[in-house]
Amino acid sequence: MFFLQDQTAFTFSGVLVLGTLGMLFMAVMLVSIVVFHQRKVIRFNKKIQKMEEERQQMLLRASIQFQEEERQRIAADLHDDAGPLLATARLYLNENLIHQEPATQLQSIFSAKQIIDDSIQLIRNISHSLMPPTLKNFGLEAAVKDLFEKINGSGVINASARFHDNRQRLNDEQELLVFRIVQELVTNIIKHSSAGFIHLTQNAQGNIVYFRIHHDGRGILQRDFDKMEHNSAGLGLKNIQSRIRVLKGKIFFEIDNTHTYYKVTIEVPREPIK
Amino acid sequence: MFYVLYCIVNEVMSFYLQSVRSKNFIVLFNLFTILEYSFVCYFLYLILPKGIIKKIIPFAWIGFLLFAFGDYIFFSEEYQFDSITSGIEALIVLMLSMAYLFSQVRSNNSLLVYSTFNFWVVISFFIYFSGTFFLYLMTEKMMVNISFQKMYFVINISFNILKNLLLCVAMTMKLNGVVKEQKKVIPDLDDDLLIYQKN
Repeated sequence: MFFLQDQTAFTFSGVLVLGTLGMLFMAVMLVSIVVFHQRKVIRFNKKIQKMEEERQQMLLRASIQFQEEERQRIAADLHDDAGPLLATARLYLNENLIHQEPATQLQSIFSAKQIIDDSIQLIRNISHSLMPPTLKNFGLEAAVKDLFEKINGSGVINASARFHDNRQRLNDEQELLVFRIVQELVTNIIKHSSAGFIHLTQNAQGNIVYFRIHHDGRGILQRDFDKMEHNSAGLGLKNIQSRIRVLKGKIFFEIDNTHTYYKVTIEVPREPIK
Repeated sequence: MFYVLYCIVNEVMSFYLQSVRSKNFIVLFNLFTILEYSFVCYFLYLILPKGIIKKIIPFAWIGFLLFAFGDYIFFSEEYQFDSITSGIEALIVLMLSMAYLFSQVRSNNSLLVYSTFNFWVVISFFIYFSGTFFLYLMTEKMMVNISFQKMYFVINISFNILKNLLLCVAMTMKLNGVVKEQKKVIPDLDDDLLIYQKN
């Protein structure tokens, strides 16, 4: 009798252990299937999303690159062709005018020389505004400071810039895009805000570079920016947004707590230098 | 957190009652089954997406309560562990957990399921109830057997520890989520403005 009882207990124990292990195995298997399947689905979705993002980036980059190439071409044409041509014309004019009456000769030579000098200067200015040589040769910091000095020189507005951490620079393409954004923002501030000063601060934290522009004029806030971005007007703001997208960065329009200054903050993640 | 605290209190009380040879610890076990089921049902009700399963949960809860009380009052012997109630509880929780897992597979969520708090809580219940399903089914008939009692102790404690470990992982996920939600720190870009104003 005791043996039979012991036998029954042993059988029940076996069933219990086997049943518990079986249930546990099934539970673990089910969880594993769910996790692996979900990972597979997410990986697939991410792949599709990445492809779509890459396609959009490519389109945007192509459009901006086209614009920049066109600007560079115009800049090169103006600088290399129109400049020397006008300079040569000035020389011919000088030569030809020597054989006329002295008084008229002198007057016309002087006028022609003046006009041609102005033309040369004008073309040079256009060329520089299309592709700032400082940016190409010395980088973003020098280009921004140069831009701000020029604005300062006009005497209309006080402009200053300070770069705190520019040891690790953005790549050339990113610097050009940031410069264009800053240029657009500064132009807008000068045109629309009636500001007395503009100040740009740059800093970096980890892999992200921050730019902040302060001004004391009438500015816009994030909601205005979002609204204007979807309007037919505000082409400049649209260009800013598309450049920000190419940079994979962010832009914020804010006002400080005392409601004295407007702030525009740009966040740009560093990309490896090509 | 509340559930974990309740588990601890229940374990301590039942251990005390067993040590003083009181049979009331069985009542405590039966009550624990009902309360535990209520906790789990409420949690799953909160996390499950809208659908038939979510609608069924309140009815399943009421149905289970009626059955548990009915079984305890009319059919169960006094001071005896109620295996049928525990078995049904385990089955319902397992089914609801499976429903949650399948809803995660079907959802178009880009967040990895194992990086969420809810997933680890559900997994802890799923594994705990899977592991203790057979144990609780047999407890009513086999509790008098000494070797079964030993096995009961080992299996029950093991799965309790496993459940609590998984709940710890869940809480870690929750804490990580809270830390990540905190505002990103950016360098001070306004210090220049003060210098500029002084000048």
